[in-house]
Amino acid sequence: MKNFKTVYLFSAILSFILTAGYTTARAQDVPDVGPHPAGKPVEMESHIGNLTGHSEAAKLPYRRYCAGCHGDLGDGQGENTPWLDPKPRNFTLATFKCRSTPTGTLPLDSDLYNSVGRGFTNSNMPIWNALSNQDRANLVAIIKTFSPRWQKEKAGDPIKVPSEPPVTIESISHGKALFTKLECWKCHGPEGKGDGPSASTLTDSQDNPIRPYNFAAGTNDSRFKCGSTNEDIYKIFMTGVDGTPMPSFADTIQPNDAWDLVHFLRVLQVHRHGKENDVLKAAGGNIPPYVEKQAEAPSSQPEVRAAGGGK
Amino acid sequence: MQVRQRWIAILGAAALCPSFLFGAGTISGKVTFTGTPAKQHPIDMSKEPSCAKQHNPPLMTEGVVSGPNNALANVVVYISAGGDEPNPPSVAVTFTQKGCQYGPHVLAMHTGQELDVLNEDQTSHNIHPLAKVNREWNKSQPPGTPPIKDKWDQPEFIEVKCNIHPWMHGWFAVLKTNHYAVSGADGSFSLPNLPPGKYTITAWHESGAKATQDVTIAGNETKTADFSIALKPY
Amino acid sequence: MHTWKQSRLCWNSPRVQSIVTGALVMIFLLLSGSQNASALPAFARKYGLRCSACHETWPILNNFGLKFRDNGYQLMNDRDAPIWQNPGYWPVTFRITPVWHRVSQLSNEDTYAGGVATGTPNDALARVTSSGFDLSGLDFHTGGTLEKNISFFVLPSSDPTAAFHFETVMARFDNIFGSPWLNIKMGRFELNNLLSEKRMVQLTGNGGIYQTYHFIPIGDGNIFGQLGDNQLGMEYVGHSYNDRTRVSAALLSSSDGNVNLVTGANSYSTYATFDQGIDLGRLGVDRFGAYVFAGQAATYYPTSGGTPIPGSGIQNKGFSRVGFTGQFYFGPHFDLNVVTQHGTDNSWFGQGYGNAINPTNGSAGPPLNNNVPGSLLPTGAQTPTWNGYTFEARYVYSPQLIFIGEYEAERMSQQANGPGCNTSAGPDCWSPSAGTFTAGPSPSNLGNINNYDFLIRYNPFMTSRAGMALQLEYSLFHQIGTGPTSPVTASSVNINTNELMFALDFAF
Repeated sequence: MKNFKTVYLFSAILSFILTAGYTTARAQDVPDVGPHPAGKPVEMESHIGNLTGHSEAAKLPYRRYCAGCHGDLGDGQGENTPWLDPKPRNFTLATFKCRSTPTGTLPLDSDLYNSVGRGFTNSNMPIWNALSNQDRANLVAIIKTFSPRWQKEKAGDPIKVPSEPPVTIESISHGKALFTKLECWKCHGPEGKGDGPSASTLTDSQDNPIRPYNFAAGTNDSRFKCGSTNEDIYKIFMTGVDGTPMPSFADTIQPNDAWDLVHFLRVLQVHRHGKENDVLKAAGGNIPPYVEKQAEAPSSQPEVRAAGGGK
Repeated sequence: MQVRQRWIAILGAAALCPSFLFGAGTISGKVTFTGTPAKQHPIDMSKEPSCAKQHNPPLMTEGVVSGPNNALANVVVYISAGGDEPNPPSVAVTFTQKGCQYGPHVLAMHTGQELDVLNEDQTSHNIHPLAKVNREWNKSQPPGTPPIKDKWDQPEFIEVKCNIHPWMHGWFAVLKTNHYAVSGADGSFSLPNLPPGKYTITAWHESGAKATQDVTIAGNETKTADFSIALKPY
Repeated sequence: MHTWKQSRLCWNSPRVQSIVTGALVMIFLLLSGSQNASALPAFARKYGLRCSACHETWPILNNFGLKFRDNGYQLMNDRDAPIWQNPGYWPVTFRITPVWHRVSQLSNEDTYAGGVATGTPNDALARVTSSGFDLSGLDFHTGGTLEKNISFFVLPSSDPTAAFHFETVMARFDNIFGSPWLNIKMGRFELNNLLSEKRMVQLTGNGGIYQTYHFIPIGDGNIFGQLGDNQLGMEYVGHSYNDRTRVSAALLSSSDGNVNLVTGANSYSTYATFDQGIDLGRLGVDRFGAYVFAGQAATYYPTSGGTPIPGSGIQNKGFSRVGFTGQFYFGPHFDLNVVTQHGTDNSWFGQGYGNAINPTNGSAGPPLNNNVPGSLLPTGAQTPTWNGYTFEARYVYSPQLIFIGEYEAERMSQQANGPGCNTSAGPDCWSPSAGTFTAGPSPSNLGNINNYDFLIRYNPFMTSRAGMALQLEYSLFHQIGTGPTSPVTASSVNINTNELMFALDFAF
């Protein structure tokens, strides 16, 4: 009889495990990662410097780190998506915010690699720089398996970023003139606070409401969605932030003029201790008007107030 | 069977030639709607005074543009099967921003055909075609700048918007065929220069409603194909 | 030689044991199909990340989770302050574990004469085996941010009888002046050990702590050098932006985390760590580090009515624990964790002085030995020193299925009671089993430990909302010469305790 007790006890434990485990196992069945156009998962590689990433090696890290938001199929429909704003990237559309390549083209592998490692400020996308470089490269490769575009198209040609000219008050002044002429203030507001006349009606390409970047907010950190350096700002408006209302100005700004706009935008970040704010402070806190070479066509624009004052 | 083979041979030969030089059949008709269309309302352009002053009374939204006798405008009628025209025309199509409105509201074009976007306003616009199959891009176009040129690789109905002026909506109908027409205010359309053959014609409206018909052309006849699109109030 | 007592359940049959264990192993393997893989569930709910993002297997942290913790439980995307949360979000997680376990250990049983227990030990030692369903204690975690870059953690914790204490209470200023190299914490907290005992997965009595973090030589009165106990103090932590380099320095009270100022005015210790992560490509990010725990604790407490006066400890003596740590990844599935330790306690501690708090290992009372003025250190007393090694190997089949094998060795290199003990010259050395100063030299291996632990842990689901694990664990613990005194040999026998456990671990 003592033997039966043992047998009963462990049969009970075994059946408990079997039932609990098996039912939850079947209930949680999810398809394998990646699209299945003809039942065959795609394999892609990524190349970042000397690193080569392989999508096959990223399956477990993707499930571990990414699928909760980006979904097992990379479609941005992870279990947490309903509670996230902004929504996670839908990799099946192959539209990415942060690129070195022109609007509408695929990003470089290094663009995706940097985005994963930088995270996205003011969003739920973490800063994944604690992962090994190989893991990151593998994850870039698996991102490329989610949309067939990667097999048909090559990445765009990265834009050429000329070397940055010195920061002078004239450069800032020209930047301010560009900000006015190109009507950036219509969304970003005259002081870059994200309060322009069109700001409240902006929606992204999935029809979710979206706010323009607020230059005046933030501390010394002052990160953008796509980086934090002057070169990052340059690339942001020269390639556009695809999937959002922010267009590319590559067709309308000369590369050297673009650096002037970068310098002015830095001055809008009033809480940042940067060279541009120092130059403005040294010039007395006022941006002198830009002397144009030729008359411009009149356009409807409100008075753009002098920004910052170094505060 | 021999007759059919002869026609297939001719059609095959026709596929190698610019098709607008060959064939004189025509399909024409009218597009009307049934059901209750969504209500259109006046556009408030007060945030863009340079445009607002151009429209007194204000423009109406263009989700449904109808005419007398339930005529439905802005319906793209095109050959969806039976034609075979791989080459886009060499002329470009033009999409204009004027008075903070797109013209035409629906622009049809062939895949690979050049698209020119013009800004004739005194304010900046950004062109943002919300493509899902084609590449989505977004470019700023200040006043007085040259046309933006682009082309589309894949057939798709692409919604176009301007983020700065949220009332601006337009459509690119990128098609695999050169035989298309966009119905006018009276709902009429015409597809000329059709070689003989059996065609499937599709009528597409931006509300998502579609209708399809099969039409056979033999020789130089004109066939009538009317479409009735079912619209819903929302 | 000792006989094995028949237990009520015929579990002792090795064949039955191996069959059932093998079957359970197979069940776990079968159930580990491809699953949704996804801690503190409170953190998972706050940020929408699966548990598996921060945890190798919950609750063990991976490199990303370690960075999250070093940042003060923040993702550093300006969404960490509580204002970003739905006001209904309450940063609380509780964890408790019902278990079934079977423990087998040695004990002295009394003899009987005329049907009455005599109070003297038997001719032979008894092996007592008990088993049944049981509970762990309850952990009630609340942690997160009070404001951007100000984080906190409060952990009321209870034993299985619901007797609560505060395991962790701390507030921390993170990223001072915007720099990840400046973080300061104060309160009661776990030391910055790379191999964390509080986040280990082992649940058995001897496997559920790291012996290297708690080793105390036999008879030693210093309970204050235990790396595995949460301590009271202040801690500075600095780390690089990607958390590859980590340094810390803590100033602690030598109280082993006990509150109400029970030790003395000068009982402080310091704990410093350093570790460096190196990106080894396909292998992963491996870490190498070192730590130093050095401090002082009292050996003399004036008494009042025979009871030591709390907080009056003086005549501090020193102690230290130094060692290396390593976290070696061999690809995404396998890692080996190593901790070494060289420990030293002052000779006074070795002779049982100090420890007014827990002289009899749990209950407060008069100190075992109080270093009253005039006490002399016995001739032959030596500085107890030892070397400890912990090896923990983990095989992560998936974020939901992990196998762990652990081995720990503690080896005395110098006993507290040296060759000069119990000679005609001077007082004798301390004998903990006799409770008096009567001892001669100790055998060189007295107190040495071999500790083994093996487990399989399976999470049937892993989402961003709650966590649950089924665990099967076996622990085997040997210690030389600390067991009950054998009436046959009149010396302490070796401890030989084993435990088999099945646990249902869950947290919300």
